[in-house]
Parts: sequence; C-alpha cells; structure tokens
Amino acid sequence: MVVTPTKAGARLPAYPAKVPVAPKRPLPTLRIRCYTLLMRIIVPVLAVAFAIPAAAAPIRVDINSGIAQPLPIAVPAFATAAPVATEAGTTAEIGGRVAQVIANDLKSSGLFRPLDPAAYTTTVGMPDVTRPQFANWRTIAAQALVTGTVSVNPDGGITVGCYAYDVFSAEELARQGFVTTAAGWRRAAHKCADLVYSRLTGETGYFDSRIVYVSETGSRVKRIKRLAVMDQDGAGHRFLTSGQNLVLTPRFAPNQQTITYMSFEGNRPRVWLYTLGSGRQQAIGDFPNMSFAPRFSPDGSNLIFSMAVGGNSDIYRMDIASHKLTRLTTQPGIDTGPSYSPDGSRIVFESDRGGSQQLYVMGADGSGQTRISFGEGRAATPVWSPRGDLIAFTRIGGGRFSIGVMRPDGGGERLLTNAYQDEGPTWSPNGRVILFFRSARGGPVNLFSVDLSGQNERKVPTPLDGSDPAWSPLLP
Amino acid sequence: MTERQALLGAGAAHILLFAALSLGWQWSQKPLAIADEMIPVEFVDIADAPRVVEAAKPSMKAAPQETTVPTPAETVPEPTPATPIDAVPLPDVKPEPPKPEPPKKATPEKPAPAKPLDMSTLSNLIDKALPKSKVKPLDTSDLATSIAAATPKKATIDPRAAATLAQAIQAQVAPCWNPPIGGADVRRMTVVIRAEYGRDGRVIGQPSVVSQTGATAGNADYSRAFAETARRAVLRCSPLKLPPKMYEMWKSVEINFDPESMT
Repeated sequence: MVVTPTKAGARLPAYPAKVPVAPKRPLPTLRIRCYTLLMRIIVPVLAVAFAIPAAAAPIRVDINSGIAQPLPIAVPAFATAAPVATEAGTTAEIGGRVAQVIANDLKSSGLFRPLDPAAYTTTVGMPDVTRPQFANWRTIAAQALVTGTVSVNPDGGITVGCYAYDVFSAEELARQGFVTTAAGWRRAAHKCADLVYSRLTGETGYFDSRIVYVSETGSRVKRIKRLAVMDQDGAGHRFLTSGQNLVLTPRFAPNQQTITYMSFEGNRPRVWLYTLGSGRQQAIGDFPNMSFAPRFSPDGSNLIFSMAVGGNSDIYRMDIASHKLTRLTTQPGIDTGPSYSPDGSRIVFESDRGGSQQLYVMGADGSGQTRISFGEGRAATPVWSPRGDLIAFTRIGGGRFSIGVMRPDGGGERLLTNAYQDEGPTWSPNGRVILFFRSARGGPVNLFSVDLSGQNERKVPTPLDGSDPAWSPLLP
Repeated sequence: MTERQALLGAGAAHILLFAALSLGWQWSQKPLAIADEMIPVEFVDIADAPRVVEAAKPSMKAAPQETTVPTPAETVPEPTPATPIDAVPLPDVKPEPPKPEPPKKATPEKPAPAKPLDMSTLSNLIDKALPKSKVKPLDTSDLATSIAAATPKKATIDPRAAATLAQAIQAQVAPCWNPPIGGADVRRMTVVIRAEYGRDGRVIGQPSVVSQTGATAGNADYSRAFAETARRAVLRCSPLKLPPKMYEMWKSVEINFDPESMT
C-alpha cells in the first residue's frame, strides 16, 4: 500500500492493510512486463504526489499551499425587534454602529475583508439572525457571516447577541450574548469581534483592549508630553496627565487598573503609578536616584525597573506590597528596559556591558545572564511576547531604527518594519500584532501597528503625536 | 635526397599525421549513429505545480443561485438572545441545518481524453524522480498485487490519468484554501479531508476530517479552525471540473492539507 508522506506522528487513514491478492492465474508475459515497468517508472513519480487508488480507496491529493488572503466576511447591521430609545440612540442605530465597529476591528487585523454593505442582496431581520439565508450570502462570496441583535433590558442597559456562521457549510460557529450599559455598546461590539476572530482563526482575540501612550505636542524644544489612554481602535481617547511634567514609558499592570510610568515631577525622574479609576498618582519609593523603565511582573505583584546609582544603572525588582527592593544586575554599565517572560520565570533586558547596547536574558532572580542579540548594530527595548515564543525589540543600525523579533534564545531574528525610525514595540494581547512608534525625519511621531508577519502595517489614529505605546491585556 | 627535400618530406608527413589524427579522432567516435535512435523526450509534469485546468474561481458563478430559504424540518421557537448575566452564552438552541441543495444537473463535459501511456518516454523520469522522492523504497510486489486487484474486470488504471486527476483536484482546491498560517503551531499541523462528489462535481454532504496532525490539548481552538479552513476550501471549490468518464476514480477523494510551502 502506498501512502503519501505525512508529517511525523500522522495518524494515517484507515487503508486496508493489504489488498486482497488476485486469484493465482499466470498473467500474460506482456502484462507482467507492463506492470514491472509501471512499478519501476510510475511509482516513484506518483508516490510523491499521491497514492495509486486501490479498489474502493479514495484518490489522495496533497495540497501544500493555499492563498493567504483576508477572509471575505459579511457583517450586516444588528437587528432589533423594534427601535427603542436608549441613552446612546435607538437600538436600531446602535445595531448599525455595532456592526461597523465589528467590521472595522476585523478589517484592521488584516485577516478579514468585510464586504461592502451596498453589495448585500438581503437585509437581516430578526428571524434571519438565527436562520440566515446562506444562499444569499454565497452569491456575494461571503465566507463567514456575523449577525446579531440589540435589545433593551429592563434596567435600561442593552443586550447584544452575537452569532457567527460559516456560509459554505451553513453552520453556526459561535454565539454569545453581551450585557452592557447602552453607552458601553462599543465594548460589546469589540467582544463580538473577538468572538468571531478567535472562532475563525483559533487564536484569542485582542479587540477589547486598550492602549496607553505618550501624547506629544509642541515644538521640539518645548515638547509637552502627556499620558493618554484609548481603545485599541482609537476610540474613547482621554488624557491622564496635565502635561506639566515630562512622562515616559507608560506600562499597564495585568489588572489594567494601574499604569506605571516615569515622570520628571519635581525634577526628580522617578517611577510612578497611576490608578485609572481614581486618577491617583503616586511615586514608587523615595529613592535618592533616578529610577526609570518600569514594568509589571505578569502576576502584578512586582515592579522591575532600572535605577542609577553612582553612574551605574542596574535592574531592580520591587515587591509592590512590601516595597522590598532586590538588585538583579551588578555589572558596570547601563542595564535597563527589563521585561518579564509571560510565565514570570525570566527577564529580558538591554545592556551595554559588552561595549554596545545588546539584549540579555536572565532568570527572574538575576541568575544566568546571557547575551542573546548578536546581529549587526545595536538592539534595544526588548518586550517578551504574551505567547512566550518571541521577543520584540528595536534594531538600531545603518542610520535606522527598525522593529524586529527574535526567539528568546536569540535565533530566528526577523525585521518587521523598514522606515527611518521605528522603535518601542509592544505586543497585542494575543501576540499577533506589534504596536510601535514611528518618527518621520524631522517630522511627526505616530503610533503604528504591524502584523507579526511584517504585513498589514497601519497607522493608529491619535489626536496629537504619539509615542511610547503599551498595549493592555484583554479586558475582562 | 637533399636535406631540403628531407625536411619538406618530414614536414608534410607531420602535417598529414596531425591531420589524420585530429580528423580520425572525430571519425572514430561515430557518435551520430545513436542520434538516429534518439528517443523523443516528452516531459510529463507530474509532481510540480499543475497547469491542467483553469483555477477555480470562488466567484458568484460558482455559488448556487437559489434564493429560497432552506426550510427547516421543524420550526424551532426563536431563541431569545437576552441573558441577564454578563457575557454568558445564549441559550443553546441550534437552528435546524438546512437541507443540502439538490445538485444541479450539469451539462456533461467532454472528457479530456487521456493519452495512452508511452512507456519509452517515461524512463527519462526515473532518474529525476528518484532523488527527489521523499518516500522510502516501495515494496513493489505488494504494489503489483494491488494494481492487479484494482483491475480485475478489464478496467485499466492509467497512472498518468490518475496523476493528472490528482493534479486537477489540487489545482482547483488549492486556490480556495486560506490556511491560518499565523498560528504558533502551524508548522506541525496538517489535516486530511475526505469528500464525496456527485457526477456533476458537487460535494455530496459535508466533507469529513479523516485525520489531523499537530493537534494538542493546548491548541484545540486552533486545530479546529485549521481543519475548518480545509473543509471550507473543499466546499467553496465545488463543483470540481473533472472528466466524467473517470468519475469512479474521483467520486471519493482524500485531500491532505499541509501548508508547508507557506510557512
């Protein structure tokens, strides 16, 4: 029996182990020759592509590549039984906006192509939400369909029902209902988009998340930098600090209620904490020296940051509850930019101890410090992927700053961007997208996102210039 | 004989000898005689990218045009999506699956007549095929019996036709496959889908997953999505355009989807 080569561990289809032997009857010589030739000649050739079909066994075909194109998806306006007024408009209006936000989310991932609603051949009423007319969606070549409902709850809130379908197999893929305030309809839309994304790609979504960054305005010499936070798609933008003090490197805590950052408040550059709900700002520790480049541990119990003591910057860990400080590096030179692995067992950081800025990995207790970056130029601002398999960083060389990724052992380095100055990467919650900031030559500074494959580069809209972004984990 | 004559004679003899040697070397080769028996080489492109049929276009034409709603076998009460608790699954009332559409009668196509296999030309392929073959040496005796068994009633399996057939299927289905290549586990993942086809080239029923590699407890969502892209490719590229005369060979097809050349 001939079987196509498969990857290791393949469970092969249940072919008959041996084909019944034909009755023993001498075949004509010519035939035997013919078969011999067949065996010698055809078999090696065909075996590469497929197995010769024996009696009743299906013909076997190997497909080793397909197309990498965005999936055409239809997201018609979410239906409502009867338009009811809410604080955010009628349910019918909300239904239309929810569909737009979902389509925009899916489109921004680069993996989906929402179809133009003008091409729809059918409208979606309440009965069609759970029983779509798949034939109509097939005619416009939609491969997936998202339908939904918006209804008002007795307490004035809304429920957004979200349904995802495979158009060609006419199957329901997922459904979920989200209860929220009427004003919170955007989050319901992001949650629905996450549901669709995760069901169709098999990876967790990232749309219901936020971005904190440094909003910049003013001239080069008198730059005003303020902390700002917004939804992942740029909506719901608000400033957190007044701009009186220079701020840098904001980072979310895992609970997303706290942001740690560096502020020059009182002309003492120090690590601060910002509590989102209350707006409270609080300096961490009363260190006599400059502290900077803070980041939370994955469990939120510790902060790691750099502190300069006598011209030597080293990495410290501080227990947030007890304020106990542990020094992790002791080498001369600047050790900074620490970032935990998602399991909290290791830390990647940058150091110039070897003569130039390079990336190093160490245990969470500071043990086993090993250099991992060896390419041309310098490497800075490492961030460990939430998936754990990659480290994003800024590659500096040849007069350029580029965003790159490498494995935690330093192998498999790839550059994802190619512009004048791209730096400061941060990962989407699912580890598929990297956000960074791009400085044009002598021009504006903006936030950009790029897919892990280096494709789908997009500008993230901000009211003013933006730098130093940090992506939050997925909201609960 | 003067010295001059002797020198001339010797010179002439040398030239003659040189000419005889250089020309005689050519004559003695007699290489052209073989040219008379030169075998016409016909390159049979089997394992490479196919160019047998036009690629199927996932277009509106390919999609069925009926606009009638598939009537559910029984009417299910409309599930109310409202749930009082935050972010909980809706009541799990599934709509009845729509009936499979009746396959349209397709106009029978002229089958591409498979040329009889010219054994003499194929010997050229042996040497090329062997080093590339990733397969371990075959047990040919087993194969002989399998071929014999497969052809009991005067039916002939033309392996080239089978190769062409597999190539045709590959060429038509591959453009419809959009694998999720961004997944962390994509390098280990393959799936074999089995589909039954009607004579009109349409998939009958739902294609099924025969086997899958690379699926672990940790990537269940991803492996499911991966298998679904393969199934979607088979459904989208229906109907296949294949020679009706060979229907018995392609009425049941197993397709191994492996994005190895994309990752």
